[in-house]
Amino acid sequence: MVGAKIAVIGDRDTVVGLKMAGVHESAVPKSPEETRRRLVDYFRDPGVGLILITERLAEPVEDTILELSRAPVPVILLIPDRDGSTGVHDHVVRELIRRAVGIEVKI
Amino acid sequence: MSKIIPGTKATRMELLRFKSRMRLAERGHDLLKEKCDSLTMEFFNAIAEIRSVRAAVESLLSEAFTALTQAKMVMGPARVFEFAEASGTDAELMISPRSLMGVRVPVISLEQHTPEVPYSMIDSTAQFDEMAATFKKALTAIIRLAEVESTVKRLALEIERTKRRVSALENTVLPRLEATVHFVKLALEEREREDFFRIRMIRERLEGY
Repeated sequence: MVGAKIAVIGDRDTVVGLKMAGVHESAVPKSPEETRRRLVDYFRDPGVGLILITERLAEPVEDTILELSRAPVPVILLIPDRDGSTGVHDHVVRELIRRAVGIEVKI
Repeated sequence: MSKIIPGTKATRMELLRFKSRMRLAERGHDLLKEKCDSLTMEFFNAIAEIRSVRAAVESLLSEAFTALTQAKMVMGPARVFEFAEASGTDAELMISPRSLMGVRVPVISLEQHTPEVPYSMIDSTAQFDEMAATFKKALTAIIRLAEVESTVKRLALEIERTKRRVSALENTVLPRLEATVHFVKLALEEREREDFFRIRMIRERLEGY
């Protein structure tokens, strides 16, 4: 059993809402570079077990996410933001599966 | 004949050794193939689960965002942000590994500690309470999704690794061993024939005297 923190990278509303649910670390980045930096920061923090990032912010840094997703911990999860899902999540998961199994899988 | 393992001596001992190695490789190959098959089955089960959990997360989150908008309308955005920052709710992840066909997959559970009065009751509104509750529910669903998704990822990695090992055995190790066994067999047979003729020639020569 390992106690771990949750980090969230998202727009203001998402961060506020999840803070109410008890999320510890949060960031509201303003540029893709900042998103990337934050992502790597949280990734390197051994206390963080789960990184949530909204799909809209994840889109420009998809390559970084794919790269970091190869490690088992922390888990990086894309969540929809207030305007709903954009389908980036599907794309990321499908890419991982394609790399692993060698076939496209419809999720 | 480049497939022959270098440094092979054509002796009977060597032949026995290579034969047992081949048996071992074949058994390993069968086992790994079986493992790969059942991993793939687990994998597709998990994928089916992702879809339903994902749908749940989406609907719960959109509900939560509606509640957030309502809270913002009643209390004003600045106050809502302020209250969220000051909220006493604390969420902790408990991650424990579970073994699935020898693959360690995480079981993630969420522990939410909410103080009895997490924020000022007087200054907040019913909409704010509602929003806090819906986001908590949404977070629980998100955690479940994280668990399923990382299971899928790890299964995928393990399948990849197993496949590589199966094909390495199939395409490299087994043909090499086979070729080596064949080579040693041929060499031994050849030597036997040579010996046979040598003995015959010697016998003929001896009889000639």
